Amino acid sequence: MAAERGLELVRELHRAAGGHLPPFRTEEMRQALEEMRALYERNQADVSEAKSGRTDLIFLIRFRHCCLLRNQRCLLAYLYDRLLRIRALRWEYGSVLPNTIQFHMSAEEVEWFNRYKKSLATYMRSVGGEEGLDLTQDIKPPKSLYIEVRCLKDHGEFEIDDGTTILLKKNSQHFLPRWKCEQLIRQGVLEHVLS
Amino acid sequence: MYQHTLFGAYINAIILLLLQRVLLLVASDVDALCACKILQALFQCDHVQYTLVPVAGWQELETAFLEHKDQFKYFVFINCGANVDLLEILQPEEDTFFFICDSHRPINVVNVYNDTQIKLLVKQDDDLDVPAYDDIFRDEEDEEEDSEDESDGSEPSEKRRRFEEVCCTGRKVTLQMWLFLHFRREILFDYEQYEYHGTSSAMVMFDLAWIMSKDLNDMLWWAIVGLTDQWVQDKITQMKYVTDIGILQRHVSRHNHRNEDEENSLSIDCMRIAFEYDLRLALYQHWSLYESLCNTSYTSASLKLWSVQGQKRLQEFLADMGLPLKQVKQKFNSMDVSLKENLREMIEESANKFGMKDLRVQTFSIHFGFKNKFSASDIVYATTSLMENIEKEDSETTNFIKALDSLSRGNLDKLHQGLDLAKKQLRAIQQTVASCICTNLVISQGPFLYCSLMEGTPDVKLFSKPVSLCLLSKYLLKSFVCSTKNKRCKLLPLVMAAPMDVEQGTVIMVGIPPEVESSDKKNFFGRAFEKARGPQGAVLPAGPGRCCPAGSVHASSTDSPGGLSPASKRCLPAQKPQTIIELKTEDRSKFLDALISLLS
Repeated sequence: MAAERGLELVRELHRAAGGHLPPFRTEEMRQALEEMRALYERNQADVSEAKSGRTDLIFLIRFRHCCLLRNQRCLLAYLYDRLLRIRALRWEYGSVLPNTIQFHMSAEEVEWFNRYKKSLATYMRSVGGEEGLDLTQDIKPPKSLYIEVRCLKDHGEFEIDDGTTILLKKNSQHFLPRWKCEQLIRQGVLEHVLS
Repeated sequence: MYQHTLFGAYINAIILLLLQRVLLLVASDVDALCACKILQALFQCDHVQYTLVPVAGWQELETAFLEHKDQFKYFVFINCGANVDLLEILQPEEDTFFFICDSHRPINVVNVYNDTQIKLLVKQDDDLDVPAYDDIFRDEEDEEEDSEDESDGSEPSEKRRRFEEVCCTGRKVTLQMWLFLHFRREILFDYEQYEYHGTSSAMVMFDLAWIMSKDLNDMLWWAIVGLTDQWVQDKITQMKYVTDIGILQRHVSRHNHRNEDEENSLSIDCMRIAFEYDLRLALYQHWSLYESLCNTSYTSASLKLWSVQGQKRLQEFLADMGLPLKQVKQKFNSMDVSLKENLREMIEESANKFGMKDLRVQTFSIHFGFKNKFSASDIVYATTSLMENIEKEDSETTNFIKALDSLSRGNLDKLHQGLDLAKKQLRAIQQTVASCICTNLVISQGPFLYCSLMEGTPDVKLFSKPVSLCLLSKYLLKSFVCSTKNKRCKLLPLVMAAPMDVEQGTVIMVGIPPEVESSDKKNFFGRAFEKARGPQGAVLPAGPGRCCPAGSVHASSTDSPGGLSPASKRCLPAQKPQTIIELKTEDRSKFLDALISLLS
């Protein structure tokens, strides 16, 4: 009764460490909201009764109110934490999220993500002169223009900005400009070789 | 043609004008790995984008070329490709360039005389003995009538073209033409009869770096390891080794002179290379002295350690030096300092008494930090065993990458792993050699000695790899020469066979030249193997002969990838140095018979 489902949701998110986004628990959310609604209705009924004389109900009303507040707090924490994780995904994966992750987001979250993307893009365009500045590149200060990368799995052909294609076969090593490889390094296809 | 000093200019042209990317095709031996590391460092210095693809045999080379030929115009071959006609096999486009840095000799004449597409990297004083151009090729103008049918679409203005063998059937052949062809065949036969090795590719690359003034101590160390690899695998003569050591010694003193000066010396963590007149015992500083003496081919063969008498002689040897057994059997680093101080001189003195005159050899060692001291041969053994590691079921390319990594100083854990594997490998080799000699497995077949490893032999899986098998055969031959009393047998070469893949039923065979003091390390088994295989239902293509694998699973003649037109006629041996081949087990006896009749 005491906001158990809300707590469940929060616990689940707490366990999913490392920015990982578990699927959106619509069912539990609905149940928690249902619980809140039930509590609220009972409270409504009791308040009108308490107004007309029965003061011993005040404690019960108070208790239910606290439960409602707790539920609200849990649910809001859940939603907000998910939004923060989704925001981090934009910086990690770029503007197109892999399908598996998109699956885990609810429709509203997807819309929020799109609006965040737009907002970020507008900001990046406004900074840094005419063409804008891509802030998601080079999150750590780069040491060199070109890096040596090793291919960890067969990825097939990979096209880069100037049109040339590179065949990424397992265990082949390449020496490429840093910005072309960053995406693939994050995805785990390439590995930065430090000699 | 030779493009040594101009290579630097070429690379600069590549970067500045064309901003092209380069594909490196690297063979699977330590020399190639070292040359590759040096070249990678040079490319990284100049921001030349490259892709590195390891190749272990002809098939892989072809596949890699076909996969990448649309994306690259510049190919660099390291330790592969010099001794075959690359243009004919790979059929590149007109604007593709091949740069070849290969220590295998003889270099195919087409590669030498091609002006446009193939550039060879050789040292200027490396004597190639290439036959004169006019002896092998005829210019187009001289053969207007005869070559009309073949030169469809060729430009008459191109003076030097690839010579295509004139088909003589049903055509009027002049006496001059016939004589020319006859002499040409002889000259080519003499030229390509023996296979040997030239200067190490790593040294050539280091030279290149030096010319471009971009050489570093690291690159020098890799050049040293490349040269030592050639010496460990017995690919070059003693003279050449000593000469090359002299050349490297000059570079070493140039880079490392600061260590001698007490005031300005570098911190202990910096890498330093030192010249040493060190013992020839394999891995002795990372093992115990006793183990090292037992497992080095030189000492084991001279003392005949497979017999009981030999063991006694070893004890005498140790007693002569005054080294207590207990000390000698523990780890070298834990030996008493008083014993280690004059160890080299003591061992040399005693070794002279026991008939081992060359126990010391000129080599280099590297130091960085307080714990890390390695000799060049240690690194060679470690890297070879990493490359041919059979313990995990990794693919060959994974092993190649691990071995490549182990050459960097930051990956000491891989190096130590390599050293452990090398110890196992050396022990396995010695035990196999001992058992072969004791059970008389080495039989004389007339013109050569033959030894075949059975499937159930312990550690036989280790010897399914080419370099390990080569090492085993060399040690076996050395030991056999010391053990046999038959004077004639001492001068014979050795052919060794081991099971390669039990499921597919293939056998790997290697032929090595005889073990003679003054041998020039020239190996005729390449041609001999080809000829012996020829009649087994394979088609010999025209021109400098190459053979087809008789039913071997690897180089499948029927399903060659597209791009090679009469693919069934143009097959390749499975391994790069043609002295190593693969056969099906059933074909083995036929092949041996053919070889015996050929060589007697």
